[in-house]
Amino acid sequence: MKRDELARDSTPESLAEHVDRNAPAVRQEQHEHGVMESVREATYRGHHIVIRTSYRIEVDGVPVEGHLGVTNDGKVHYHAVPNLSFASAVDLVKQLIDTFPEDFETQHGGHGEEH
Amino acid sequence: MAAVRRNILNNATARQQYIQGVKLLKQEFPGPTTSDFGIAGPARQVSTYDLFVVWHHVAMFTFTPPSQGDRNAAHRGPVFLPWHRFMLILLELNLQRVLNDEDFGLPYWDWAADGERSPDQQVASPVWGNQCMGGQGNPVVTGPFAFNAADANSWRVRVDADVNGQLRATNRGLRRAFAQSISTLPRKPQVERALNRSTYDLPPWSTDSLGLRNRLEGWRPFNTAPGLHNRVHVWVGGDMLPSSSPNDPVFYLNHCNVDRIWAAWSPRSGGSVYAPDQTEPNTLRGHRIDDEMNALLSDPVTPRQMLDVDDFYTYDTLVVS
Repeated sequence: MKRDELARDSTPESLAEHVDRNAPAVRQEQHEHGVMESVREATYRGHHIVIRTSYRIEVDGVPVEGHLGVTNDGKVHYHAVPNLSFASAVDLVKQLIDTFPEDFETQHGGHGEEH
Repeated sequence: MAAVRRNILNNATARQQYIQGVKLLKQEFPGPTTSDFGIAGPARQVSTYDLFVVWHHVAMFTFTPPSQGDRNAAHRGPVFLPWHRFMLILLELNLQRVLNDEDFGLPYWDWAADGERSPDQQVASPVWGNQCMGGQGNPVVTGPFAFNAADANSWRVRVDADVNGQLRATNRGLRRAFAQSISTLPRKPQVERALNRSTYDLPPWSTDSLGLRNRLEGWRPFNTAPGLHNRVHVWVGGDMLPSSSPNDPVFYLNHCNVDRIWAAWSPRSGGSVYAPDQTEPNTLRGHRIDDEMNALLSDPVTPRQMLDVDDFYTYDTLVVS
């Protein structure tokens, strides 16, 4: 690819134009809430395996509603902390509390040290 | 002449230009507002720098295909490397524009070199010095991205994502927490083992895959994950952890080094620089070599278009391990 092909897209005017064109899809995504169902599929000796896993997570009684998935090795991951996977969903939620402190102070009303 | 990307610790000009450039992009407002992205609250102008934050988040939350929740339009699948190359090139072109220097190349952080040092020395690396990226904290209070409540032009995080993955407007300082979730950076032998992969990617084209991409992204090997790219995000911590991780300018130093490792591997690939091709089913749309990749700030490009980028940039060295 040649530099000029992308350089023309790198002006404030072009950025605004492309955002205007693409933003409706982003707005739609913002209003969709994730379904906490993870679907694992595998084939073994000619048999097709489908495993659907659903999670309902609450912290201080308030639901956590982002996208949570399970990979075929059984680890759980959560798209709001995209570089990590966890052996347990409990460990994952502890990481969420550390990574998003304001969400758990304002929305969830909780805080404080472990007892 | 193509830009040359250099080691941020070895080149003061690249370091100073990068810091100056991202600050200029942070102060440039091309027109879009938070309302354009469905962000709750009063409409606020979104800077050019923050448009890249939004784009990264959007790509991460675009599942490919939508029926599953693992592989997305920029991660956990084959497109990870070409999509981020696309993102870095667009940022680099915007930096060249505001710096009025078409020869400017993004600097990289050779984190595996720091990974060879002791844990204490990793935290004290020159990359975290006042003349480079600054240190850690909540908020960061040293270096060029230090928070100053009395200075509206000090580095502010203006857009991030909440725990449920929804974009939101904010106004706070940058956060870093070194070595909190993982104690050490990646090491050179781990980079070498990634370079020894003979294939780019393999079925099931996910975090379970063998191949260079999954090693470099950091999902394999399982017993030492997070590895390489993922490990750097986790080690830096703070704003490097969520989907809005481009809020920290260190994001681009990490990904520039990831891209450099891909560039170093490519001549070893025996001509099979990328997979999958178009013979794979539509469930891999967005990851096949001639599929359009997720775009927000420009027209889309394909992974194939990102395989020959000599017209954009080269690296000062491809010695990576």
